[in-house]
Amino acid sequence: MSHWLPLAVIVPLVAGALTPALAHGRPGLARAWAVAVTAWCTFATALLTSRVALTGPFSYEMGGWAAPWGIELRFDEFSAAALFICVIMLLVLVFSGPYVRRALPEARITWYYSLLLINLGGMIGFVVTGDLFNLFVFMELVAVSSYALVAVGGGRTAALAAFKYLIAGAVSSALILFCIGVLYSLTGSLNMADVALRLATIESPAPVMLALAGMTVAFLVKAGLFPVHVWLPDAHAIAPTPINAVSSALVVKLGIIGLLRILPLFGAVSLAPLYEALAWLGAISVLAGAFFALFQQDIKLMLAYSTISNIGYIVLGLGLAGELAVTGAGIHVLNHALIKAALFLAAGAMIHQSGYRTLHDLRGIGRAMPWTTLALLVGALSIVGLPPTAGFLGKWYIALGALEAGRPGFAVVVLAGALIIFAYLARMLNAFYFRAPSHEEMLAVREAPASMLLPVLVLAALCVLGGLLGRWPVMLIAPAVGRLVGGG
Amino acid sequence: MRKSLVAITIAAAAVPMLIGVAGLPRPGDPSAAVHTHVAARYIAEGAHETGADNLVTGVLLNYRGFDTFGEVMIIFAALAAVMAVLPRGATGLPGAGAASGIPISPIVAFIIRLTAPFIAAFGAFVIFKGHVSPGGGFQGGVILGALLMMLSLVLGRGVDRPLIPARSARWLQAAAPLAFFAVGVLGLGLTGAVLGYPAEPGRELLRELMMIFLEIGIGVGGGAIILGLFLETRGE
Amino acid sequence: MAALWGNIDYAAFVVLFCIGLYIIIAKQNLIKKLLGLNIMETAVFAFVVTSGMVDGGTAPIVGPGMSGPFASPLPHAMVLTGIVVAVSITALALCLIIEIYRQCGTLEADELKGAE
Repeated sequence: MSHWLPLAVIVPLVAGALTPALAHGRPGLARAWAVAVTAWCTFATALLTSRVALTGPFSYEMGGWAAPWGIELRFDEFSAAALFICVIMLLVLVFSGPYVRRALPEARITWYYSLLLINLGGMIGFVVTGDLFNLFVFMELVAVSSYALVAVGGGRTAALAAFKYLIAGAVSSALILFCIGVLYSLTGSLNMADVALRLATIESPAPVMLALAGMTVAFLVKAGLFPVHVWLPDAHAIAPTPINAVSSALVVKLGIIGLLRILPLFGAVSLAPLYEALAWLGAISVLAGAFFALFQQDIKLMLAYSTISNIGYIVLGLGLAGELAVTGAGIHVLNHALIKAALFLAAGAMIHQSGYRTLHDLRGIGRAMPWTTLALLVGALSIVGLPPTAGFLGKWYIALGALEAGRPGFAVVVLAGALIIFAYLARMLNAFYFRAPSHEEMLAVREAPASMLLPVLVLAALCVLGGLLGRWPVMLIAPAVGRLVGGG
Repeated sequence: MRKSLVAITIAAAAVPMLIGVAGLPRPGDPSAAVHTHVAARYIAEGAHETGADNLVTGVLLNYRGFDTFGEVMIIFAALAAVMAVLPRGATGLPGAGAASGIPISPIVAFIIRLTAPFIAAFGAFVIFKGHVSPGGGFQGGVILGALLMMLSLVLGRGVDRPLIPARSARWLQAAAPLAFFAVGVLGLGLTGAVLGYPAEPGRELLRELMMIFLEIGIGVGGGAIILGLFLETRGE
Repeated sequence: MAALWGNIDYAAFVVLFCIGLYIIIAKQNLIKKLLGLNIMETAVFAFVVTSGMVDGGTAPIVGPGMSGPFASPLPHAMVLTGIVVAVSITALALCLIIEIYRQCGTLEADELKGAE
């Protein structure tokens, strides 16, 4: 058995617990420690991903106990998201250095890095586990660290945004635990594969439908789909920028991955009405998110609403349930993570250097911070979905899937969403490049420091690379998509 | 309008849940899947497979030890969260800390000092006997944590002069994850699986020691974290 | 309806869950919302533990002199973890409430909405 799998989860968590002890009184050490551990995790998850690409999914039995007596970790193609999680977290940690030195009180810096490492370990654990209750435990781990990180910057509204996020997250977690209890009561087991087998033999449909509906609703709340998105804009806009990147790029995707994990459990139930509901909700979310984004002046709020819109694309792809559409949804989970991280970090660099957050105040920044604005431009093109950037492939597959399923209306929705965001993109580019600065200090603003600029540029490059090399992720997740579509 | 919206939401939640739970097997039915599947093996084989008479501890530390690792990480994350969210005492309300509010009555102080050793002994007992009788690391850790909180109140130690100095406190708070890491690696070396326990007949003592080590780690870590939470919320 | 009467324990916990949900949605005070969350979580824990009960059973501690049907140990382990999670969330929520009160001077959600 390859021991990299459990260690990839355990090491960042233990390292996170050790961070305050090791870096007591030396905040600089905390960042170096966090970056080193995350680099190791990137290496470990890369090994695991290459293994699953070559030989297919594999499992690990914790403690040597076979499932369902013990906990089984199962690395399949969707778990390759762990690699993206590590890469993005690594870049966010590098970016964090200068940012948190200015944004956070010094006493909190070690705890910030500790929470980020715990967040990382929790996310990796979430995507690799094959056990329902283990899924819940890691979900809560990510949740607790996320709630705190939203409020870590201090300030009037941060604590309230974190509290609303906490209530929404805790209610959905309670619902998930309730549904896990229902499934346990029906089947006597907590292992996902085992539960899937046993659910097929249950006669009474009511509790099964309850568990399915409850878990779907709860995971959609965590993903931030319209209309249960109300916690998202404040939580994602008010937090410090590196946290915005982690939240929008990674944490909300856990809701989607949770859905991907539990839908195969209900293979025996006819899922068609559920998929129909998902497709409609996704489509509404695409349009609503894009529409709200259009009217935002604050750049971070605009990006937060754009996240809601993109989660809508992914849920729409899942709801269409064809092989093309689900591939598009899966690809977009990964690509949107890259794009949103690039956008948030670039915007954060601008806010850090200039002190302004709204489109009006940031006029003329294109000349003061050319590289950062270029990265933002690349990210914006990606999020509209222009080829050959990363955002194109996911939306293209989803639109094709809509046409294949005979629902051209949804393809129109995909296009309409892209057009609305394009309108905002034009406004943004106009303000950054072609308008005269509204504030004189804008002329004195300098480019971001290297440790902030480098991750921004790397992510922007990945946005383009993700588009050019888009065949590879498609090929990687194809077997998992086939299993999901064929079985459900 | 708002009331009707709330009523509709609650009804939308309650009705499917009630219909759903009506279809579940009756709680207490011995032939239900809950008792005939995984739990049947735990009850039949658990005691001699894990070496723990308390089957819940056997499940927590042995069969599903990974869940317990996640759980101790959540406790630590709660401490890190509180540390990251609350401001340090310097920016808090003036006069806060040990000197604020009603001073501790001498009767209360005397009783706490008198019973402290017994409480500590009971906490240690709950931790050490956790695998053969009801108890365990979490329960003992909470008892120890409560004891440390009371002593902090009585001895007047706030966040500036904590009962456990900050430098050591950080290591003690990480005790539970460290204990899991140590036992996990040890299990890897002994049995080839992370968090595995040796199952050979001659190794029962080692297995029991590993479990007790985990319990101590959980207990000490839990107690230190509770003290840390108390000091942080009070020190403001 | 008869099936629901047979599972009256489960139904009671569902009612408790919905009471907690009602408190979270309808009450304005943040501490009341937190209490509602705790009620919801307690209802879920009670539900999970009840699913592991067996007629005439005892606690799942085998030892000399213990016999008879044992309750399933798995829900007990699940709920132990769940309680720890709930306590952690409550601790963080209370600290957020402290911080909100320090910053905004009020704990009523409608007043806070206006002050944002």
